[in-house]
Amino acid sequence: MSGHLRLTPQEADPIGAISASPIVTVGSILAFLLATGLTWSHRSEVGSPLAAGIALVLVAAAGAAAVIASSPARAPFTNERLWIIVTLAVGGAIAEYVSTIGNNRQLSDDFGPTVIGMLILALAPFCTWVSLALAGVLSAAVLSILVIGASMYASSEAPIAALITLNSAPVLAMSAAAAGYSYGIVAETLAWQREANRAALQRDAELRAGIARSVQQSRVSVLGREVLPFLAGVMTAERISVADADRARELAEALRRALRAGIESTWLDDLAMNIRMNRGVDTIIDDPTGAAAALTADQRSALTALISWLGDASRSQLIRVAFTGAGDGDGHGDIVLVSDSGASPPSRRELDRFVAVARAVALRADATLTRENVTVGLSYDID
Amino acid sequence: MTLGLPGHLARDSQSRALANAGHAAAYTCLGIGVVLCGVMATIGGRPERWNVALLLIIMVVLLTLVARYPTVTLTVLYLIVGAGIVLAITIMIMPDGEFPTTSNAALALPATALLLVGGAGSGSAIAVTWTTLGFALSEAAAFLGVVIAGSVYSPNLAVCFAFAIVVIVRVFDGVTRRFDMRRETGLHRASQQTRELAIRHDYELRATARLHDTALSHLVAIAAAGSGPVDERLRVGIRQDLGLIVGRDWAIDHALGNDGSTGTTALRSFAPPAGASSSTPPGATARGGRASGWRGRARANGMATDPRTPVEETVPSLSHAFSAAANAGLDVRVTGDFSVLATLGPRRVAALDAAVAQCLINVARHAGVDQAELALGLGGGEVTVAVMDSGVGFDESEVPPDRIGLRTSIRARIEQEQGTVRLWSTKGIGTTIVLTVPEGGE
Repeated sequence: MSGHLRLTPQEADPIGAISASPIVTVGSILAFLLATGLTWSHRSEVGSPLAAGIALVLVAAAGAAAVIASSPARAPFTNERLWIIVTLAVGGAIAEYVSTIGNNRQLSDDFGPTVIGMLILALAPFCTWVSLALAGVLSAAVLSILVIGASMYASSEAPIAALITLNSAPVLAMSAAAAGYSYGIVAETLAWQREANRAALQRDAELRAGIARSVQQSRVSVLGREVLPFLAGVMTAERISVADADRARELAEALRRALRAGIESTWLDDLAMNIRMNRGVDTIIDDPTGAAAALTADQRSALTALISWLGDASRSQLIRVAFTGAGDGDGHGDIVLVSDSGASPPSRRELDRFVAVARAVALRADATLTRENVTVGLSYDID
Repeated sequence: MTLGLPGHLARDSQSRALANAGHAAAYTCLGIGVVLCGVMATIGGRPERWNVALLLIIMVVLLTLVARYPTVTLTVLYLIVGAGIVLAITIMIMPDGEFPTTSNAALALPATALLLVGGAGSGSAIAVTWTTLGFALSEAAAFLGVVIAGSVYSPNLAVCFAFAIVVIVRVFDGVTRRFDMRRETGLHRASQQTRELAIRHDYELRATARLHDTALSHLVAIAAAGSGPVDERLRVGIRQDLGLIVGRDWAIDHALGNDGSTGTTALRSFAPPAGASSSTPPGATARGGRASGWRGRARANGMATDPRTPVEETVPSLSHAFSAAANAGLDVRVTGDFSVLATLGPRRVAALDAAVAQCLINVARHAGVDQAELALGLGGGEVTVAVMDSGVGFDESEVPPDRIGLRTSIRARIEQEQGTVRLWSTKGIGTTIVLTVPEGGE
């Protein structure tokens, strides 16, 4: 439950939020068109064209802010952004109220509640259900104050309470829909994650057995296959020759080197080796302190996804990953990933996907793209 | 933790979340409708509005059923009963003349709730179908209502707007999924891959450490001995250690050992000559020889018990450590009870065993004494093993970097089990190494 409160759909499913980002543009444009259309339809009631113009400008600004704030390049979407957008939209509603003050015969053709509701609805994939519901309720409260003011001139004879209830219906219904979506998708994602983690734990045992066998093929086993027969040979021999002693020294050195390399390397070196062997893209890891081991499981997944995606022979010729700052003790480390572009270099849009995913797992990320190479800077906190 | 939703689940999850959104909005509409009726019935002086409120509450109940059990039957029932309610409300409110046409907010509330049915099945097409049905039925009901009660029909703009929003969102959802961004990003494959890489790395490291522990001292001894006859003690040592690794896939030992600690307690058997066994397929002898080095008999010189008396087979011991000590000619005195090791998982005992063995080998090799003390204890949720000698002692910082026995074989193994290694050594007085691991573990 607490997870549903804290998590936004974007955090739970960053890729889903990236696919959803165009809906914000659609919603913002529709909201603006609706505001313009309704303003035009009740133009006879407009007493102050300036205020009406300001109202439309504020709606456009709210829409533009929503589009910019939710773009994958600026992920993750923060709560403050929601409040800025809602405040701009509410400002638009207030300006509209001012533009028709004293002249507003019909409340139902005011765009305020619908426009605010549409923007909140469009931002559903980026906010927690609580903030969406709260945004709806608070905007409805502000709009209700306007209704009280407007009701003095309205033609309706219905009680003010009825007008307030009806007027807040669009914003309340749409923010309820937004909150319902946010809650639903986070609940679905978390439920799936629990299931997946359970399955992964079960699979681990099988995986371990499989890996244990394949370790036989690794450099350690290759070394083992030399060391063990040698020792067996000495065990059954009468004498140790000078050549044996030299060979023993060589093997001991090799063994020490292997152990040291094993200790100093991390999963990332293994990934780099995989990419080098299987895809022919040179991947160089510069991680003197083994900082890659300190990344969380999700951070590792995000980095693996990025490196695997870049590590395609057509996208990159060479990938360098450098870790710095992990040993400074200043609480954060940096990763700089540079790839030399191949025949079909990645596009900004594609790259932003990975940047957004990285941001969703508490990696501060920036990507720069030139014709020759792709640079992704990642920064993470060390507990 | 695994990031996000996998592609094959995204469709259904997204569809359910959107239906959930629709239901939340529908409840809000119906709730607002009930409140509105209450306001009109009390403050507005129209007590007959309570009838409308009652009809809306019936819709709430049916909507709850559809939301809970999204079957075709319930969806159809909700649509039919809901359309009937819209019809009834139209007949009730239109003749008053309060609303000039059917395009009014009061009718929009139940009509919107009707098209937000969500409905059975998943996917955009079926959802749009249910929504369209709801929309058409509500408009038809309103039309029929004014035909019966007499008023002016006009398409309800608010309901059209709600219908348009649902269609836009559903179509958008269906279209974006076609781009299949999830597969492109490969986040789930990456997540599995990192998991596998971490396990593999762990195995590699343990395999190397194992090889290092068992083979390195012999290689060094052979190198140091130079040409000459093979020392009998070296021969015995090699034979002993080869039994631990050759012809047996130790890593599989661990994997199997995890699932059943009630396995056989076969004592470790010496391996056949390595030349023959290295050609044995990996794992072939693993099951038969699932001896698990941690469960042998404790063999220690100087132990209070007669070494020939088998210790209780189910109590783990530090057999590898004692073999190492015996081979090195080291006399080990033990204080404490081996049963404290029973609180640890087999892998943790194995790590502790190997670390203690390395400690004892270090004593034999560097301390210049042939006696060591071993103390075992349990307290504060941790098992502590102390290895003490009154040898020459050393300064850890002066240990040359190529001597990695202490740093890796001991420290790395224990730290991998979330344990700690503390070391006190004074030149001329002796060395004490205290290994502590938390209870439990694999």
